[in-house]
This record gives sequence, structure tokens and C-alpha cells, in this order.
Amino acid sequence: MKTKMIKPAQPLRNLLKVSFFAVSTIALSGLGSLSVQADETCMSPYMAKIVGQEDFVYVWTLGMEGVGDEQDKLVTVDVNPKSASYGKVINTLSVGGRNEAHHSGFTDDRHYLWAGGLDTNKIFIFDVHTNPAKPKLTKVITDFVAKSGGVVGPHTTYALPGRMMITGLSNNKDHGGRTGLVEYTNEGEYVSTYWTPTDSNLQGAVKTGNYADGYGYDVRVLPRRNLMLTSSFTGWSNYMMDFGKMLNDQEAMKRFGNTVVQWDLHARKPKKVLDVPGAPLEIRCAWGANNNYCFTSTALTSKIWLIYEDKEGAWQAKAVADIGEPSKIPLPVDISISSDDKMLWVNTFMDGKTRGFDISDPFNPKQIYEEKIGAQVNMVSSSWDGKRLYYTSSLLANWDKKGTDNEQFFKLYHWDGKALKQQFAIDFIKEKLGRAHQMRFGAYSLYAANLPVQQSVLAKHP
Amino acid sequence: MKTSKLMVLGLLISGVSAAYAGNSPQTVAPGYGALEFSPPSVGSYSLPAIGSADDGNVLTSDGKPIKLHSLMGDKPVLLSFIYSTCSDINGCPLATAVFHKIKNRLQKDPELASLVRLVTLSFDPGHDTPDKMRQYSEGLSGNGVDWHFLTTVSEQELQPILSSYKQNIQKVYDEKGEFTGTYSHILRVYLIDTDKHIRNIYSTSFLHPDTLINDIKTLLNKNESSDPRLEVSNPLNPYRPGDYKTSYEKTGYVTQSLALSHRTGRSADLMKRVRTPPLGLPAMPQPAENKVTNEKIQLGRKLFYDRRLSLNNTFSCAMCHIPEQGFTSNEMATAVGIEGRSVKRNSPTLYNVGYSTVLFHDGRESTLEQQVWGPLLAHNEMANPSIGYVIDKLNVTDDYAEQFAKVFGKGPSMETLGMALASYERSLVSGNSPFDRWQYGNDKRALTGAEQRGLTLFTGKANCSACHTIGSHDALLTDNTFHNTGIGYLEAMGTPDAKRKIQVAPGIFIDVDRDLIAQVSEAKANDLGRYEVTQNPEDRWKYKTPTLRNAALTAPYMHNGSLATLKAVVEFYNRGGIANENLDPLIQPLKLSDQEVNDLVSFLKSLTGDNTDELVADAFAAPVSDAD
Repeated sequence: MKTKMIKPAQPLRNLLKVSFFAVSTIALSGLGSLSVQADETCMSPYMAKIVGQEDFVYVWTLGMEGVGDEQDKLVTVDVNPKSASYGKVINTLSVGGRNEAHHSGFTDDRHYLWAGGLDTNKIFIFDVHTNPAKPKLTKVITDFVAKSGGVVGPHTTYALPGRMMITGLSNNKDHGGRTGLVEYTNEGEYVSTYWTPTDSNLQGAVKTGNYADGYGYDVRVLPRRNLMLTSSFTGWSNYMMDFGKMLNDQEAMKRFGNTVVQWDLHARKPKKVLDVPGAPLEIRCAWGANNNYCFTSTALTSKIWLIYEDKEGAWQAKAVADIGEPSKIPLPVDISISSDDKMLWVNTFMDGKTRGFDISDPFNPKQIYEEKIGAQVNMVSSSWDGKRLYYTSSLLANWDKKGTDNEQFFKLYHWDGKALKQQFAIDFIKEKLGRAHQMRFGAYSLYAANLPVQQSVLAKHP
Repeated sequence: MKTSKLMVLGLLISGVSAAYAGNSPQTVAPGYGALEFSPPSVGSYSLPAIGSADDGNVLTSDGKPIKLHSLMGDKPVLLSFIYSTCSDINGCPLATAVFHKIKNRLQKDPELASLVRLVTLSFDPGHDTPDKMRQYSEGLSGNGVDWHFLTTVSEQELQPILSSYKQNIQKVYDEKGEFTGTYSHILRVYLIDTDKHIRNIYSTSFLHPDTLINDIKTLLNKNESSDPRLEVSNPLNPYRPGDYKTSYEKTGYVTQSLALSHRTGRSADLMKRVRTPPLGLPAMPQPAENKVTNEKIQLGRKLFYDRRLSLNNTFSCAMCHIPEQGFTSNEMATAVGIEGRSVKRNSPTLYNVGYSTVLFHDGRESTLEQQVWGPLLAHNEMANPSIGYVIDKLNVTDDYAEQFAKVFGKGPSMETLGMALASYERSLVSGNSPFDRWQYGNDKRALTGAEQRGLTLFTGKANCSACHTIGSHDALLTDNTFHNTGIGYLEAMGTPDAKRKIQVAPGIFIDVDRDLIAQVSEAKANDLGRYEVTQNPEDRWKYKTPTLRNAALTAPYMHNGSLATLKAVVEFYNRGGIANENLDPLIQPLKLSDQEVNDLVSFLKSLTGDNTDELVADAFAAPVSDAD
């Protein structure tokens, strides 16, 4: 990754590098809160983050019938090259059932990892701070649907101060796409439900185009602009349906989201419904202090969309690039923005490729690199410095490829600014684990107080 | 201490504007500058409680021991945790600087000042003695503003407060393992109401005097309860499918989606039409051993919408038989069950299902009481592992055991569960359609010209009524028997095109290679229709004739949901079905003109009962039960 940084964020990043904390691999306290981050970079701005070498990657893994114990599990991989178990699975924690494990997110203090199940609507809360090498399941929220008033499919678990904002994908009335956001305290207590605006109740929001479908998927915020954005995917019926069956079903194919909603973050009220047709999924906001824009990609229409604040201070949506050949439905899935707002990685599930786009001009992204990661690929997670990119394979249990194309893996690549080079790969089927989905990073350095003496060397990296 | 005090005061004096200069060494938090956005106006939003603000033993800056709660309850409190030697510009000094700005505002607004309290509590009792807190407060506190600077006697007294407010504090040690005097922590400021509930938490990116003052005023606002989220901005018929997709195939498609929060209904007298059938329908057949009663209907209704009736608590009967979607699913051709498992046939409507003498598309069941166990136990539907599992679960869920005992004189059992669900299904009677009023009510204005022409075709040239029966006193619009139209044959024996047209957005279609779809397709279950029950080769690809009552509400059509519209169905029959050795001889090319096709479609739309909104409203009033 290019290391040249853009102006606004540079002072902060320099400051982070010379962090006065004894452990230099992290940024804690108020300092971290000002910058947004990359995947380490795609998480909430309100939490401590790893700016050096991560020690672990937690892989939220779907149980697979006929593989190992067949149930969902949190898999901990040692990714510290100085460790004897580098590149190895060092812990697995089975949670019971196949819940359609999907995304996960830390609380703002990064002490707990919340991992959702899109099917059973359970949320598993793992203690990752007491022993980062061995997460412990401390709580399971089982009444998410009942408490929220009918929201189904807890997707993004996004940290706000002392709270978690959880996007839904569906509802318990018709298993369709109308849904909402649900707020919980860090302790796992329900706070409130915010329905995504629909025509019959726009809740004061402006329907700027043709659509106000009420669908949901991802959430990201820019607090300095009081901005919260949500995207829109599809309801339970589709995300749980066999992918091929769905593609052949003309009714089902009408049930995809075509909107991004701008919310008043402070008031939790929708302000504007923007037309973004073709199922906009992941949202990644730029993190330069004056870069008031976010990216999303549409899964079905294969486009990068820019959601940006115009000169008048109004938020707009614009399609800014094609991803691969849209006519072949490459199916863009996860995206990852680099910490300098220069690069956007876009994975395409059907061809198993990762594509690097130069987004120096956010209105004109240009693909500058592509590499095939596997027969299928879904998630990509970048280290803070952009030098390490982790990839996993699974999209949804019933959407993954069938037969030999159903590769299930966790892979690490190094990026030198020109090419990706694979470092190691773990075969999740051979290891009897299941379908590898979302990744979150862990480090001893985050929890200095809990650092085992003999392991302190792990946390010290230049 | 001196450093920190200088730093805080320095920030306050300079206004930190310099920090935004291009070559500034630090980017500082929004709280130091002007707010970059217009905050939501006072009272226009709500601040739900997010936990309780706990008590603790603290010391005032005079060294007096007090309870933290003695400073709460009479007015809203802003509580900040700091340590005086903190040098992180965006940490504790920010909290104190923001409080200082609030103090200045309050001094200009004495009325508001009297209604709010600021509390700054140190989490470094080792260094921050009451005296140190008093020094820290110098130059900060001001006349007429209720600002307290607190500390604790010891870390032991402090710890329970930190843990109840979830303030994770870590001492930072140097390489020799010695405490550096600094702490790492997540900056948090709490807004606490007079009920001692936390109503907001602010961290670095959120902490700003403007938003904090607005939040306080919002808490003090007597009209806080007015929730604009309940406003109805566009009245639409609430009883139609909530996710409106008409014309989705066109680029000009416009949503008319309904708010889930408006999906509320009204209970109906469901016995009414069981006792007295509506115009056009015969008396509801009732087994001698299970006469319909209102109590049975009510119990069956509760069961019907209970998602806990499946292995993983995600599936009720109503997830496939969705009331506002014609008690079927308009959103997919063939059903999916738990874990998304594929079901090979379209969910049939439950309107008037009590009149059916054969159940399922292949007719493998004959009574509703028995039929309900099919989906309950099917691996690809509700996936309960056994009959006993369902019964045992009901016995410990809500007050089901009691309800069953009251209604049946015995608890849940294989028999009584079937009887209850069957009773609710028998109550879903819908007749007195425009067609019924025309045909049986002697209402000559009930059908339009096109509908009348359609009826003539239906019973004449098109001969639909050969299977979709119309009697002299009533019409079930089905013969309750089985026919081969060729649809099943084509699916089992046909070769699909190499490309499939797939819709990816409103008005946007892509021709996709079948090979690509095959990569993500499971092996499709074959479907031989009635043959699967009789094993008679003549019954291959025969399926039950569905009733056409309420057909306008029950798209998509045919046993596999392969035809999207009523017009597509009429056009299919107009072509004479699909040739195969078992094609029903009744199915012949009809030679209907376009006009005649449209007239038939018009007629089919006249078969909608007059009470469907009432039944849907009743369904909306039923509880949807989920795992607790």
C-alpha cells in the first residue's frame, strides 16, 4: 500500500505512531476516537485499535452439515509471525446450532465481541479481553426478535459510546426485507428500535427518488457530520434460500434493497432516502478529517457508489465505477478502505477475485490490481498499515458454491504496494471447522493490564 | 497536576483554534471548536434510558464523604470521569473543557443553570486528593453553576463505581514495570436523569457543549413524549402486502412500502362465517369429533402465529401462509423452510381450505387435523424432530398446557394440536365476492361487462369450470381432484435454456449463463406430483386443482409458482398446456383472442371475497410469538 498520506489525517497518524503508551501497537482513549479506521480499518470510530501487528484474528465461522461438530464457532487464528503457532488455529469455541453466523463487532471498549446469527437471531457475546488467545462466551441474547418488536437477522454489530447499534435484515411478519436498527447497551440490554423509513411512514425523511423500501444491511457513522448511513440487502427468505433457487425465482429477485438511508445520528432519525439500486451492502467511510464521503458497492448491479456531502452540505449518492463486468454478475461482496483513503479493496464472490481500486479521486475510482484468491471469496480485512490483507471464503451457508468450488479458507496476503503475496492458508473444511466468514483482530497490547508476562514479547513490535 | 491544570486552562484560553491550523501537531476533538452541524432541535428526539446510574462513596473537594446519589435525583446530571494529570488533549482535558464551556453558557442562562448539575469525578484517588480536586476546580467552577469536583478515599472505594459505570481504566506501566502516572481509558461522559437513569453517553467524537445542552433541554422538555416517528406520512391500504413490487420490472417502479409499525389489526368474530357461510359457499364441513368452537379457533390462531413451533424458533405456519399475501407467499415461487431449506412446491393459500377434501398439491392428506403434522415434522419445513418434542415444548411454553386443558379437557397432544390448528384454518372462510353476488345473489350490477364476458368464457369456450367447479348453489371453484397440465412434466423432463434472464434492479435484467447459476445451485429435488402418493404411472405430474377464490391475492401461480400473473396462467391454458403423454384431455388450445384473455383475467379478479381485509386485520391482531 502506498504510504504517502493525505494532509488532514497526517498529524493524527503521526501522533498515533509516537503514542506515549508503553505498548506501541495500539491507540487507546480519546486519541483513537477521532480517527476512523480501516478494517482494523472498518470498525467503529469509538474504540481502541491495533496500529501495529495484530496477534489474533477471530473468525466467526458457520457450522456446516457433515463437517466436524456441524455448529457455528468462533475460531481464533494466531497471526503473529513471531509466535510459534503463527498461521495456526489456536482455539475454537462452538456455540451450538447453525445460526447463520455472519458479522461480528467489538464493543467500544473492545472488551467484548458481539457476533450475530442471521437465522436464529441469537447474538453471542464473547469476552476477548480476559484472555485474548482464548475468547470466552459470556452471554447469548436469545430474545432479540421479541425485544425489538419483530426485527429479524441481526447483522452489523456496531459500537457507539457504551452501546451497540445492530442492523436487522428482515422481520418476523413476512420474512421480507423491511426491517430496522436495534440499539443495545454494552451489557446486552435492549434500548430501542428504529424502523427504516417506508412510504407509509417516512418519519420525516425525504424520499429523494423512487424508493423507500425499508430494507437494511450495514451501518456506519461519521460523528463529526452527525451522519449515520444504512444500506439495504434482502430479507430472510432470500438470504437463507439456496442461491441458485433464488436466481431462478423471478419473484424472489424483486426482493432486494435499492436504498441507502441518511440518518441523524444524534437523534436516530432518518433524514433522507437515497436511491442506490441493486443491493448496496458494506459501507466504508473515508477517514481523512475533511473527507466527507463513504463508499458502498451494489451486489447485483456491480457498481461502486459514492455517498458524499455536496457543497451545500446535502448528502448525495452517485455511481462512480463498475466492478468487473456487471453483465456477468461478479457479485461484489466485502469492501475495505485503506487508512489513507487511497485504496478500496473490492471482493467479487463469483470469480473469487479481489480488486484494488485507486480512490484518490473518489468520484473516479480506477481498478489498478486484481488477484484471484480462490474459487469463491467474500470477506477482506486489512491491517491498520494496509500491509496485511486477510481473506475468507463464505458468503452465506446457502449461497456458497457447491461441490469442489465450495472452498472454505482463511488466507493471509502481504501487500507491498504492487502485488499480493500469499503467506499462509488454512483449509477450514480439512480442519473440520466449517464456513469461514467474518474476521476481527485481537492483540494482547489492547489489554495491557491482562498481558501475561511470558507473552509480553508478542506485543512489542517496532 | 500543574501541567494538567495549565493544559486545561491553556486550551480554554486559546479556544484551541490554533489546533486546526494546517501544521498543527495534533488534531483535536470536535468539542473544542464550533459544532460542524446543526444539532437536532430540542424535544424533536427522544433519549431512551440506557441503564441505571449507580451509587457510590465519594469525597467532595472539601473532603466531606457523601453518596454519589446525593447529587442525583433532583435534577439532570452530567457526570465525567477524569484524572487531573491526564495530558491526552482529547481525553480528560476535553471533558473538562466542554464542561467549562457549558458552565459559561449556564452563567448566561440562570434558569437553566438551576436545573442542571455538573459532576467531575477523579479515577486517580492516589494523586487526586480532595485538595488536589479543589485546586483543579480553581478557574473552572463559577457562580450560579452547580459543578462538583469529587474523588474517592481509595481505589477500593472507587472500583465499584468504575465497574458500575463500565469505565475501564488501565494504568500504563513503563518498560521497567513502573506506573507512569498515566492511564489508558475510553473517555465517557454520562447524562443522568432525575430517575437516576443514564440517558446518553458521550465519547470524544460526540462530546460537544451544543449537543449536551440540547440533550439536557430535551430531558427537561415536558413534551418529550411526542414521538414524531409515529406520524403517518402516506395512508395506504394497510391490509395488502407490505412490500409492494407491482411494476418492479419497469424502470419507473416506485415503492409504496408499508411501515411494520402500522401492521396492527382488529380481532374479528371468526365463528361468524363458520356458523353462517357467506354467499357462494356451502356450510363448512366439520368432523363430528372436532366441531369448530370459538375457543378452538382462538387457540389455533395463537399456535398458527407462534414461531416457537419449529426446531429453532424461526418458523410459524404464518411464515409461509402470510395473511396479507393471501395466506400464501407472494415473495417466492416455491417455499423455503428452516435454515433456508428448499421446499419443492408453492405454498397454497389457506382461504377456504376447510372445504378441501384433499390436501397438499399431491393430495397425500385428507383431513386438516392430520395435515398440520406434515409441515411441523418435515426436515425442510419446521423441522421438529418428533411429535413428542412439539408436545413437550408446548407443555412448557406460555400457558399452552392450561389453554389446551380448558378447550379440550386435556393437554397438548398429537390429536388436540391438530384439532386446534384445523379449527383456525376452517375459520378462514371468504366468499360473497362480486362473482357470488352476481351468480347467487341476483345482483346484476355485481360484475362489470368484462367480468361478465369472462364468466361466459370461464364456463363456455375456455371451459375452466370443468375443473374449477361452479355449482348451482355454491362454487368451490375446484373439483378437489388431480390433473396434468404439463407444468410438472416440463420441469422434470425439459431442458432449460442456456441463459436465464435475471432481474438485478428495477427495470434491469441480465441474461446469465446457466453454468454460472449451477455453481451456486444445490441439486434440485424432482417432483412427480400425484404419482408420489399413488405410484401409478398415469398420475405422473398430476396436481390438485386449486380453488380460484381470492386468486388475485395468491400469486405466483401453479404448483411450482412458475407463473407470475393471472394473465400468464390464462395464456398458458390458451396455448393448451404442455404436451406430454399424461396431459389432461380437458386441456386443449383455446383459441382465445387477446380481448378474451383479458376478460377472463378480469373475471378471475372478481373472485375476491368481501372479508379478506377483515381476516387479515384479525391476523394482524394475533400475537407473533418469538423465543424469549
